[in-house]
Order: sequence, then structure tokens, then C-alpha cells
Amino acid sequence: MQRRGSFVGRAMVFVALVALAAGPIHAAGFSIFEQGTKAMGMAGAFTAQADDPSALFHNAGGLAFVTDRQFSVGTTWIHGTKAEFDGDAPFPGPGNHAEQKKLSEFPPHAYFVHPISSVWKFGLGIETPFGLVTEWEKPDQFSGRFLSTKASLQVIDLNPTLGWQITPNFGLGFGAIGRFSKVELNRNIPFNNPFTQSIIDIGRLKLESDFDTGYGWNVGLLHKVNNSFSWGLAYRSKVKVDYEGQARVNRVPTGNPQLDALLGAQVPFDKDLPVKTEIEFPDEASLGLAFALTANLLLETDVNWTGWSSFDQVPITFTGGPGNALPSQTLPERWDDVYNYRAGLRWTASPTSQWRFGYVFDETPQPEEGVSPLLPDADRNGVTLGYGHTGGIGYDVALMYLDFKERSRHRSFPGEGPFFGTYNTQAILLGLTVNF
Amino acid sequence: MQRLKVLASLALALLFTAGTAVAQVNTGSANFTRYVAFGDSLTAGFNSGSLVRTFQNNSYPVLIFRQATGRTTGFEQPLVSEPGIPGILTLQSIVPRVVIAASGGQGQPVNLNLPRPYDNIAVPGARLHDLLATTSGGLHDLILRGLGFTQLQQGLSLQPTFATLWIGNNDVLAAATSGIAIEGVTLTPAAQFDAEYRQAAAAIASVGAKMAVANIPDVTSIPFVTTVSRFLTLPTGQTVTLVGPNGPLQAGDFVLLSASADIGAGRGIPGVGPPLADSQVLSAAEVAAIQDHINHYNATISAVANERGAALVDANALLRQLATTGVNIGGVTYRSSFLTGGVFSYDGVHPTAFGYAFIANQFIDAINAKFGGDIPPVDLFPFVFGTNKAAKAAGGDLGFVFTDGARRSLLQSLGVPKWIVDGQPAPGKPHRPRRGAKG
Repeated sequence: MQRRGSFVGRAMVFVALVALAAGPIHAAGFSIFEQGTKAMGMAGAFTAQADDPSALFHNAGGLAFVTDRQFSVGTTWIHGTKAEFDGDAPFPGPGNHAEQKKLSEFPPHAYFVHPISSVWKFGLGIETPFGLVTEWEKPDQFSGRFLSTKASLQVIDLNPTLGWQITPNFGLGFGAIGRFSKVELNRNIPFNNPFTQSIIDIGRLKLESDFDTGYGWNVGLLHKVNNSFSWGLAYRSKVKVDYEGQARVNRVPTGNPQLDALLGAQVPFDKDLPVKTEIEFPDEASLGLAFALTANLLLETDVNWTGWSSFDQVPITFTGGPGNALPSQTLPERWDDVYNYRAGLRWTASPTSQWRFGYVFDETPQPEEGVSPLLPDADRNGVTLGYGHTGGIGYDVALMYLDFKERSRHRSFPGEGPFFGTYNTQAILLGLTVNF
Repeated sequence: MQRLKVLASLALALLFTAGTAVAQVNTGSANFTRYVAFGDSLTAGFNSGSLVRTFQNNSYPVLIFRQATGRTTGFEQPLVSEPGIPGILTLQSIVPRVVIAASGGQGQPVNLNLPRPYDNIAVPGARLHDLLATTSGGLHDLILRGLGFTQLQQGLSLQPTFATLWIGNNDVLAAATSGIAIEGVTLTPAAQFDAEYRQAAAAIASVGAKMAVANIPDVTSIPFVTTVSRFLTLPTGQTVTLVGPNGPLQAGDFVLLSASADIGAGRGIPGVGPPLADSQVLSAAEVAAIQDHINHYNATISAVANERGAALVDANALLRQLATTGVNIGGVTYRSSFLTGGVFSYDGVHPTAFGYAFIANQFIDAINAKFGGDIPPVDLFPFVFGTNKAAKAAGGDLGFVFTDGARRSLLQSLGVPKWIVDGQPAPGKPHRPRRGAKG
């Protein structure tokens, strides 16, 4: 038993390292709900089941019902099949087409659950509940390059949780969240060339934060009313992360010695400029209802609420003082709280195998004015198919097809200029979780 | 054979659809069958002190015409070949000194034989009064062609169905650019402006044309006035306050761009040269007088727009925004800063090609809002990244900011009286000025 424990420990550390190295992803806003492949097979409609170690993420109340020590580890391959932009007047104009690099990311998850007694249970989760990568092809030609050429957000949560089985049918769970996160923003710097009275690129700006931390908590309850009905409620708190890091403007020579002389005296090229930013990650609540339709067939429907109004703005503050800073700015986001809706069907084909089906409608929190190359979000519909095997080393696999509604922007926040056009995005997700 | 017929009819249908698609712009209740633009240098497409076809071809009226009609031809302008009339200002260098000088030579009118008035009938230098009363002199000769008819008469003879009117800039601009604000000479009295503006709008309405009008920007939002600081840091590191005709310049006083050459030679620097001339300084009192006139003019323009059901472009607010927060286009912040701001050309008064395209979109927005149309905005992409005229830096030659030739060329084209441009005493002096001095 001791040996297994140390293996689990090492495996958890490994998963954490992989998560820190991977640049995560793209889902409603920038949340990633795929934190366990069993749940993913039912499009995340899992709050009222929470009957595998991923309960730590989906509903901590499920931890209360754990009877055996279990370890599970997995990942979701998120593969962007399409991410395109077509411009509109007045800027960047019709006929202006651009594409993102094809996304291919592997956000991992890992869970360890352990019954301390028949009533108290302990769990430790490593999750990647948020993440983002948008990276545009041909960044030096992309018409949105002064807004963003590449943005990435990496998040890894450490989530120790305590489960309390109050009655045979009723469980509660409480967890603490330690969030480690890093953000990177890239864009080009424009300048009006006074000789040509047209805009040229004079530098490539990269802002990169350190891994910074934030803290939060989560709670869940699961009530198995009888053999044919259960319900669950889960909540994860807001987490605010204050980031510190460096920005650097890599100089792009203009080809005009006079202009280069002028700019060299005015722009702090090619040195590290201290910079700060912050993100307040949203709180999330889920309510799920599960009905046994027959002995082998279970239907769950969930509603999730995400408090995305926390993502109001991104302040970028340069703290280096004269000669060591760029002008500070605040990117307006003004997202809204949103709901998404999930339905999952589970068919137990044999005592060791299950087939799962799901559908999710995910509402975008992003107002039209905020749609930009940094993060073009959209309402999305997803369908899933999953299969799970238990006994010995168990595994779950799931496939999700995610279709983003076409998203257009023809409005701007007051004081913000146009970057008008239409974004089209599609993605396929493939999940695998191994349980032992 | 049957297949061939089907193909032919399909091709014809496509052709027909394509043909109509071009013409089908929803202009709402505005009718662009015959569009005439009235105004001054801003409407003419004046750029860097010159009327030249490189920029006339992207004047805001042309852009409005193209967007509203889907046509690229049929809107006639008094085009002038390169290097324009007067010769266009060029940026010679920025380091170690900024040198802006007028091109040698002049262009030629290339559309002089058009057998009808121009659709863009705007005359650089025209004041409101000129619109109604002037038939010759200055660039009027080029555009009104000595026919004995005013700008307004010529434009209305085209029986416009739609007109834009942006006039009144020169009723205050001469005072700002010459640093001399005299009621009735460089400033049009507010009562006169009110009466004449109503007269012009009534005449346009009388032919049944719908209208879009623009108001007058604040002169303290243009780089000609705001670029040169009243403080100067000497090579010794000492910062001094420049001296004007009434002593050291005070907060609220502006040094005009046209003074930069003389400052470079020591003028205005205490203990080095003589004080700056009256025509090189716009004092706080002059600014207040000019702003007071602008406020009255804009009240008139707003009231008349309201009465006539005209779309109103708030150029004053737009220029203020450029001078304060700037305007963001796809991550590029445009400002009113001279040379680097992207909006003002080398004369510090008139817009760049981008600036004019941006103004065209302001008109289109206002027209759509007023008349319920859906005229597409001008695609700004080619203006932002403009591929035209890569002017080369001459480099090496030392010089001063705004040469005297550039100054004279600009002021004359703005209708500044010649005696002010030449630095002569006012005609009539040393006698007492005529009472009221209404011009």
C-alpha cells in the first residue's frame, strides 16, 4: 500500500508538471469543463451522479460516497479544426481573411480519493478548469496584429477536498482551491510613419507573467433520493490572480535611419519592462437532476451558471517608470453571467461497460463589443459520445464535436475603435481517463 | 444545345444580378442621384497645403459618393495634377530637425473643360460669405472658372438631390493661423454667420435637396496651433519661456507652427532674439474670442440642421476626441499630434488621406442615422496601411520646422489677407479702424 501511495504521489506531480507546461484552451469563455472523461461522455451532465473521482471537480458531494481508494488520471485532446476570421468595413475591411493556428492541446486532470472512515473521505484533485490559446497565422501580416497575435492563459488548480457522508443517501463536500496561473499576450506595435503617413510595425510586444497564485474554495452536495432519482448542487468560488511579469518590445527596423533614430529615443526597445495585470476568474454553480429511466438507462440534465461578470476588464500596468515602461492600458471585456445547459444519457450495457451520449448548449459570456482577435468567443453546441469500462484498470473514452455559432462584431465599446468581422470556429475533443 | 441555352440564360441572370447588386445601396430616404458637395478646403480634399489629385481622389465627398452609389465614376472634381496648387508641402527630414518645405513648381488643372459645374464645388479658402457672394479670386478662379456664378449658384444649377455643406472653418481659421483675431477681418461676426448660414441652407433646401452638414472644430485641436510649446529647452539644459509681443507667454497662449523657423534662429528666446511677432502667437484672449465665435457658429449650424432635417456631423467633438483620448482603429490609436498622429497632414490644419476617409465615415454614419439608410462605411484598411507615395527622407540637410515658403503658401490658400501673410500693417492703419469693421 505504501508503494502504491508513493506511485500515486509521483504520478500527481507528473500531471501537475504536464499541466504547467501545456498551454490550455478554449471553451465557454475560457473555461474548460472537460475535467473527467466519464462526465465528458455525457456532455458534462454529471452533477447529480458524481460517481467517479472527478467528483472533486464536478460535485464534491460525490466524494462523500467513495468506498475505495481510487486514482484516476487523464487528459482531453482539444483539437481546433477551424478558427477563421473575415473582416468587414470600416476596418479591417471585407476580403480580409485570417486563420488561427490549429489548436492542439492536452489539458490534464488527475484525482486521488481515499475513504478515511465510513463517513469522512479525502480527495486531492489536479484540474485545468480554465485556459486559452489564440494564435494567429502569419502574425506580421494579420490585420489584427496590433490587438493580438498570440494570447495564452494557463491555469492549474490544486484542489484538496473533504467529503462527509451525512446519511447513506446524502453527502457533502468541501474543498480548497489553490490556483497557479500564467498569462502571455503578444501583439505588434504600430506607428504612423510621418514620411508615408501610413501605419508601420515598429516592434513586437510580448508580455509574459510568472506563475502566480490565487485561492478559492468549493462546496457540493449530492442527494440520492431513491434508486431512480438523485440531485446535486455544486459551487466553486471566484479566484483572483494578480500577475507580475515582464514585457519586451522586440524592435522591427523601419528601413529609414531617421525614423529609427527618432523611435530609438522614444521607445524602450529590447529590454525587460516590469508589468502587472490581474484576472478575476468567475465563480460557477451547477444543478443536476438524474433520473433512472430503466434499470440500465439514466438521464441527467444540468444547468450551469458562471459568474463571468467578474471578467470586466484586464488592466495592463507598466510599473517601470520613465524610460522603462510603455503606456499602461485597460482592455475592456465587460462579460456577462451566463448559463449553459447539459443533457447526458448513460446506458449500462453490461456490469463492466457503459455507453454515454450528451448534448451541451454553451452560452457565450462575451458581449459583441468585446469580440476580438484576443479571444473571439461564441455560443456553441456540442455533442458527445463516450464509453467506459470498469473492472481491473478501468478507462473512459469520449469524443466531443463542438460547433461555435458564427460570431460577428459590428459594434464597439465607447472609445474603442472598430475591428469588425465574423469569426467561425469548430473543434473536436477527445478524452481519455484511466482509473485504478 | 438545350444545355447551352440554360447556361446562357444563367450567365445573363448572373450578369443582371451582378449589375443591380452594385447599384443597390440602401440610402434610406436620402437620394444620391445627384450629389453636390459645398464647402472649403476640407471638402475640396486639400492636403499638406495643396489641392492635388492624389488627395482629391480620396476627398470625403468622393468617398461618400462611392459608398452611397456603388459607382466609382460620375462625380466630377476640379482635379489638379501633381505637385498641386500650390505645390504640396513635403517632409524633408525629421532628424536632427523636422523640415517641411513647399515643393517647387505647380500642378495644372486637368478637368478644366468639364461642360458643367463640378459636383465637388468646394473652394479652398472660402468663407461662408464667399459661398454666397464670391465668383473670383484665389482658388475660386480655378473652381468657379470665371463664369460669374458663385459656389452656391453653380452647385444648385446641378439640381442636387443630396448636398453636403461644411462651411465656416475659414471664418475662424484665418484668425488662428495668422495669430490675429480681428472681428470683421479674420473673424466673421456671429450675427452675420447666422444670417448667411440660414440663407445658404434655405437655398439648398429650395431645390429639394436633402442635406448633411458638419460643424466647426475648435482651433485648439489642430496641430498648427498645438505643436510648438511655449517652453523651450536650450542646449545648456535650461528651460526658458518664449517671449511674445506682450512679454513671456502665459498659460493658454499658443505658439503657431509657422513660428518654428524663426524660433530656430533665436526669435522669442529671451536674451537671444527679438520677441515673437503677433502673427506667430495665438494669445489666450484671441483663443477665447475665436472659441466664442465657434460656439455661436455651431449653435447656428445645429439649429439649422434641426430645422432643415439635415444630418449633422459633430466635427468639433471628433477633433476634440482626437486631441484628447485619440481614436482607436484596430489597435492603432490615431491622435491629432503633428506628423506622428496619423490624422493631420504636413500643414498641421488639413487631414491626411486616412483623416478624410475617417471623416467620410462620420458623414455616412450621420446620413444613415438621419435618413434610415444602410450606406456601407469606407474600408479604412488601405488608408491605415496606405501603399501610396513612399516619400523618401532627404536627410542630412539642416533646417527649420516650417519654412517661410510653406507658411505663405498655406496661409494664402486659407484665405488669410495678404497684408497679414506679408506682415504688413493693416490697411487703414494708422488711421482708426472703421467702426464695426464688418467685412
